[in-house]
Amino acid sequence: MENKTVYIKPKRNAEVEKEEVFLKDIAAVTCTDETLKTKIKALKIYRFRAEGEKRAVISSLKLIELIQGIEKGVTVENVGEQDTLIKYVRTAQTKGVLVWMKVVFVSLISFFGTAFTIMAFHNDIGIHDVFGRIYEEMMGQPSSGFTTLEVTYSLGLAVGIVLFFNHIGGRRITTDPTPIEVEMRIYEKDVDDTLIETADREGKTIDAS
Amino acid sequence: MLLRRFYLGVLGSSFGLMTAGGVFTVLLAVGLIPRFAGKTHTGRKVTLYETMVILGTLAGNIMSVFDAYCMPAAPALLKIGIPKEILFLIGELLLVCFGLFAGIFVGSLAMAIAEMLDSIPIFARRVGFRHGLGIAVSAMALGKMAGSFYYFYEKIYLFGGV
Repeated sequence: MENKTVYIKPKRNAEVEKEEVFLKDIAAVTCTDETLKTKIKALKIYRFRAEGEKRAVISSLKLIELIQGIEKGVTVENVGEQDTLIKYVRTAQTKGVLVWMKVVFVSLISFFGTAFTIMAFHNDIGIHDVFGRIYEEMMGQPSSGFTTLEVTYSLGLAVGIVLFFNHIGGRRITTDPTPIEVEMRIYEKDVDDTLIETADREGKTIDAS
Repeated sequence: MLLRRFYLGVLGSSFGLMTAGGVFTVLLAVGLIPRFAGKTHTGRKVTLYETMVILGTLAGNIMSVFDAYCMPAAPALLKIGIPKEILFLIGELLLVCFGLFAGIFVGSLAMAIAEMLDSIPIFARRVGFRHGLGIAVSAMALGKMAGSFYYFYEKIYLFGGV
């Protein structure tokens, strides 16, 4: 019997919508033997039993053990992550009135929060004093509070924001991701890392026995 | 005079550009919006939140830079014949909205900055407590609330902290 090699590439973070998790949900598999590949893909690796159970961390060693359990003498090569975080998402969590309300809530915080921040900043630096002084020095007459300086400042601010965030409304200026999208991915990665390490420390990682 | 006005315009727009860069770098470094989106599992709507950040900043900018010219809105509406009571109600609602959401934002911002500077983990390690971090965080929140009430009740803003 020839020695077969199976390559697996587990993901860092896998979201599943069903209680039963199969290997194909959390990892990409390739192998020269098609039947073995199909068998491996359909391997059941975990089942969310408890009511409130939302996530599990599974070690790639456990995956290797399971694969070797169905076919003796197979070599498994891991080209992906060491540990995989499996999140159990109920479909109700991605749509519905509640989600819509959450979106409105965060939008309102973003809107009023930043409005307050910029006003507090202007108040802090005493923008009227600064602009009044500059206007008076330039034009030799007292500022009315509504001059070229204020108008161009506001325009400059708008242009700066649009350049910074790289989009007007839903339209992007370039195809680069926007800064908040980048931050979002960094944040998600940090959360995944923390969850995986916490599971490891608490000994909750599902590992080879 | 026209040349000076032109120069003033150049000054103004460069001030605006640099302010936008500065203010948003701080906001982003703290990473508040991604956190809100992460907590509410609405990461797909991040572009909408960005749009709201942009609109919020522009609205705040107009309200604070042209504050003297924003005032006549209410008298003008009164003149059209909208009853005072309704105007008051709308105003009160807007104030509640503004106060509540700006408060949530600033509260999160304050804690996020403290966290970014690693002061909480450092304190937790120095004091050596393993449990009760939740109580400590609640105490911080209560302290901030009490401080805020005290500040407005005692009119500390009138004396500028002197």
